[in-house]
Amino acid sequence: MAYVATRGGEKAIEQAERLFRQDLGTIDAQRVETIRATMPYLIDRVMGEASLYDEELAALALAQTGGELSEAVLVLRAWRTTQPRLAIARPVKQDEVLTQRRISAAFKDIPGGQILGPTLDYSHRVLATDVLEGKPFAPPAVDKAASSAPAKQPSLADWQRQQGLVAPANPSAVSPEDIPDLTREPLLFPASRAHRLQSLARAETGGVLALGYAAMRGYGNAHPTVNELRLGEANVVVRHPRGTEFSAGRVRVSQAEVTSKEKGGYLELGFAATFGWNEVKVIAAATLDLNSDDAPVGSPVHEEFYLYHTESVEASGFCIHFKLPHYVTFQSILDAMRDAKVKRAAAEAAGEVYLGEPEEEPVL
Amino acid sequence: MFNETPAAGPGHGEMLDILARARPNRLKQHAETLLTALGEINVIANRTGLVMVPMRDTVKNVDFHLGEVLVSEAHIADAAGHVGYGMVTGRDLERAMAMAVIDLSVAARGQDDITANFLEQERAHLAAVDEERMRQVEATRVEMETF
Repeated sequence: MAYVATRGGEKAIEQAERLFRQDLGTIDAQRVETIRATMPYLIDRVMGEASLYDEELAALALAQTGGELSEAVLVLRAWRTTQPRLAIARPVKQDEVLTQRRISAAFKDIPGGQILGPTLDYSHRVLATDVLEGKPFAPPAVDKAASSAPAKQPSLADWQRQQGLVAPANPSAVSPEDIPDLTREPLLFPASRAHRLQSLARAETGGVLALGYAAMRGYGNAHPTVNELRLGEANVVVRHPRGTEFSAGRVRVSQAEVTSKEKGGYLELGFAATFGWNEVKVIAAATLDLNSDDAPVGSPVHEEFYLYHTESVEASGFCIHFKLPHYVTFQSILDAMRDAKVKRAAAEAAGEVYLGEPEEEPVL
Repeated sequence: MFNETPAAGPGHGEMLDILARARPNRLKQHAETLLTALGEINVIANRTGLVMVPMRDTVKNVDFHLGEVLVSEAHIADAAGHVGYGMVTGRDLERAMAMAVIDLSVAARGQDDITANFLEQERAHLAAVDEERMRQVEATRVEMETF
């Protein structure tokens, strides 16, 4: 291993950072609050990928990185390490979520019914250029129903189990303290289901979408149908020193089940969930989960492939490290190239054929 | 970490639910009015930290970690050993402390009329906010036969 020293680097680095921050201008509490209040889906995406739920901090991370998402996620994950873990909450159960959007593409008559919730799914996507002409866009008010939607909706998968459509599942017997935790232990393969789902929950949205889309287009074993998509708010249930359970507040969550075809007499189901409302991510992630079981090693739907390649901080970090000086490595490539040219010329002069050196497999 | 002692009676959980989501300014103002009657208070903890939130997978009933939530915590006690505790999502330490002060007051002296009124007003406010939202949500219910 060898290094090349860079003279004058300290000053250039300082000025480069200043230039980046100068371009963003002064960051104050008002800017952070504006980002938080006006871009909830972007905030949700950052919180999900950072695996840290706090809207204010996510908005600050976006403000100070200029919206560079991988940098925002990195700075939030780094900040997270400064905080002690105070507790592990009671596990969130699907039928306890304050549900604001719940649809199924597989069954039209699901118990509790279908609620579109806040969505643009059935709307024309038209850019409101009038806003730029000085005409603010004020959204029309919702015509409220006479009565409220139920705060909680039943689990579709449980109903399907009662109908014999979905395989029985054993009750969870793991205490919250014993749930495998990727923030405390490495991801090993074959991964536990808890590790797989935690990794997908914090995965990079674009990466999950790309690999999930590959599976949907035919590079997987199963084509998904959304069994249930649910967006809602979950209580963070903690315990008082005297033992009383209570909710310290609510967090937005998304979860999706996707199904494909019959297997062993039951519908196959894939599942994924994440912090925030990010339905593209959970549908794509559930598709990867659905495709995992029989996936060939090395395919995009094999868990080792998609879990490693959708880890946002590792992936972006590895990608951007290639910008850093690799002069010594590259010099050795040039040396090898020049050496090969010399040998080829010598072989041709001697009337021989130069076959070259055998190529080595790349080392990751 | 939380201990496993039995829960502190009926109504305690509901009160804590309300306090954790009460309007911050009103919460702090009410806690201020209780402070003088509580005497000397020992602050055991007042800090920010993380709560890991697990979720149950609906396919195989496996619990997994969704991620961590930033919370503010306050843990206090009076001279007689009564405990007050507050935990709220976010980084508002004063809000957590105000919750703990009200919890301590109820633990030490029972629920006074002003606190009972405060809790009822906040309960009604939170219920109204939820009802307003869920009536809007209900307006998006769709019958797939006609969709």
